[in-house]
Amino acid sequence: MRRTPLALLNLVHDRKKFLTSMAGVAFAVLLMFLFTGFKNALYDSQTQLLGRLNGDIVIINRLKENMFVPRAFARRRLYQAQAFDGVEGAYAIYLSDARWKNPDTRKTRPVRVIAYNPSDPVLPMPEVLALQQELRLPNTAMIDERSRAEVGPRETGVVTELADREIRIVGTFSLGTDFASGNGNLIMSDQNFLRFFANRGPEEEERSFATADIGLLELAPGAEVDRLVNALRDGLPQDVLVLPMNGPEGFIARERTYWEENTNIGFVFSLLTTMGFVVGIILVYQILYTDVADHWSEYATLKAIGYDNAYLFGVVIQEAIILSVLGFIPGLLISALFYNLGAAVTGLLFQLTLQRVANIYIMTFIMCLISGAIAVRKVQRTDPAEVFGL
Amino acid sequence: MTAPSTTPGSPAVATEASIQVRNLNYFFGKGDLRKQVLYDISLDLHPGQIVIMTGPSGSGKTTLLTLIGALRSATDGSLRVLGQELVGMGSRQLVELRRNIGFIFQAHNLFESLTAAQNVEMAVELTGNFRGKRQQAVDILSQLGLAERANYKPAALSGGQKQRVAIARALVNQPQLILADEPTAALDKQSGRDVVTLMQHLANEKGCTILMVTHDNRILDVADRIINLVDGRLESDESPQQFVDSHTPQSLDQKMFIM
Repeated sequence: MRRTPLALLNLVHDRKKFLTSMAGVAFAVLLMFLFTGFKNALYDSQTQLLGRLNGDIVIINRLKENMFVPRAFARRRLYQAQAFDGVEGAYAIYLSDARWKNPDTRKTRPVRVIAYNPSDPVLPMPEVLALQQELRLPNTAMIDERSRAEVGPRETGVVTELADREIRIVGTFSLGTDFASGNGNLIMSDQNFLRFFANRGPEEEERSFATADIGLLELAPGAEVDRLVNALRDGLPQDVLVLPMNGPEGFIARERTYWEENTNIGFVFSLLTTMGFVVGIILVYQILYTDVADHWSEYATLKAIGYDNAYLFGVVIQEAIILSVLGFIPGLLISALFYNLGAAVTGLLFQLTLQRVANIYIMTFIMCLISGAIAVRKVQRTDPAEVFGL
Repeated sequence: MTAPSTTPGSPAVATEASIQVRNLNYFFGKGDLRKQVLYDISLDLHPGQIVIMTGPSGSGKTTLLTLIGALRSATDGSLRVLGQELVGMGSRQLVELRRNIGFIFQAHNLFESLTAAQNVEMAVELTGNFRGKRQQAVDILSQLGLAERANYKPAALSGGQKQRVAIARALVNQPQLILADEPTAALDKQSGRDVVTLMQHLANEKGCTILMVTHDNRILDVADRIINLVDGRLESDESPQQFVDSHTPQSLDQKMFIM
């Protein structure tokens, strides 16, 4: 036999009140999940294209501070890099923003075009690899099915205009939007890229194969990334920047750091998350305080018959912990729904990683603990002498 | 006024007193608002005695009860309960001491979320007896005629049954001292009678000391002594018969004429 689980029984005794309490905690959990979710989605989305690129080392123009900056570098740097020992392949990626006409509404929207030689394994996604031949046809492209709804139907067979030139969609792939992508993404072959962007008129930048936006290097098995990065930095002219793809100093981390340090996203959403946290403290405090107030004479009786403050402290803290667990689970489930919804509507990347779930649980736990610590003062002030009707 | 040392109705054998009060004064408030509520109380209660304390409201009965029950700390005079001096005792020791006292309140103060047995078990757990707590709780509830109600929650019990559960909680650890505040006030005649009969039984069988505050004239006959507190002073300490005699309307009227 164990100690009577007073905290649990007190909490669940009144079903209706218990469900309301759980909903309260779940709501606070949901707020925290949503705000951190938006923050992470905005950051994560900036690197979702970069994360899919197939390469170990990246070469970019030194002035391309982030993906938003349209600075290309001389493509011959890639040929130079290919001469280095351990470099197996060097692939050029061409990027451009272009006006896409929504075939239904006839309104134009900016989208991002990602172009490369279809023979190069640049974006090794199965749906893209399957359509190599179709991409080689003139004036064709694949569309990102997670583009925003503003671009119109995101499906095979759509014929519309891109940069005032007819384009035919031959397939779809799944990527998602970010700050630099406008309303969506298109993938096309490098040949088609020239067709669309080599000669767009006097106002526009003329593109050719002489420059590329991102260079990808694929390494031979066994080649060391860091050593090769150093060798390339020493060997190549200073107009390009050589970065490993992954790692703390890598291309992906650099892009993320840029958005983290140069925008107010972090501050705004951290503030909102904190507010969710505070709302949670107030809600849970209300719940626990009501419990203590409702059972005031019973708690005082326990004190009178010989229970000490530590026991009562334990009861209230247990209630707080039980609430944190039981409120967290529905909060997490509803948040997961909202994450899916958010991803579908915005095209941003909403990721629910174990680490993030653990972080929010720890915040929920601390939230309940703080509330419990405030509420418990009421029990401790309880004067057992007052149980005797004065 | 009777001298406190001569205690009518006390057992012939001179045992050590369960409660020994000497020159106890008690004050509420501080500074200018300081107000004395108990004046120079001296009193001995012996094992096996049932003592009823009466007096008008505001006379300090409850204060005296809470002082003896180690629920307040006394500062002036001497107050020995179950062999321990309470004056100057730390709050931790007061909590310790309270575990040896059975408290019965006017309200039952049972947790609605716990069954009758669990409410009683809460008291058993104080003794650290987790293994046998269920058995002990069911035993005492059976003695109080609640064997079938052990797994009912208070909401499913009548007022008298709830009070009996509260009494079971006070008695389950077989305390040497029971302090009760209007234990029969919320009960009908029969339930009230059952409760006091049980107390009488405890006092006789186990040598329990029972101190009870009550205005319930129906149960005065169980008392070995009746002490009367007026304005914080011990007004009288007598046997039930003396008490009844001195409180008959005639004698009251006489006093009023004199005044």
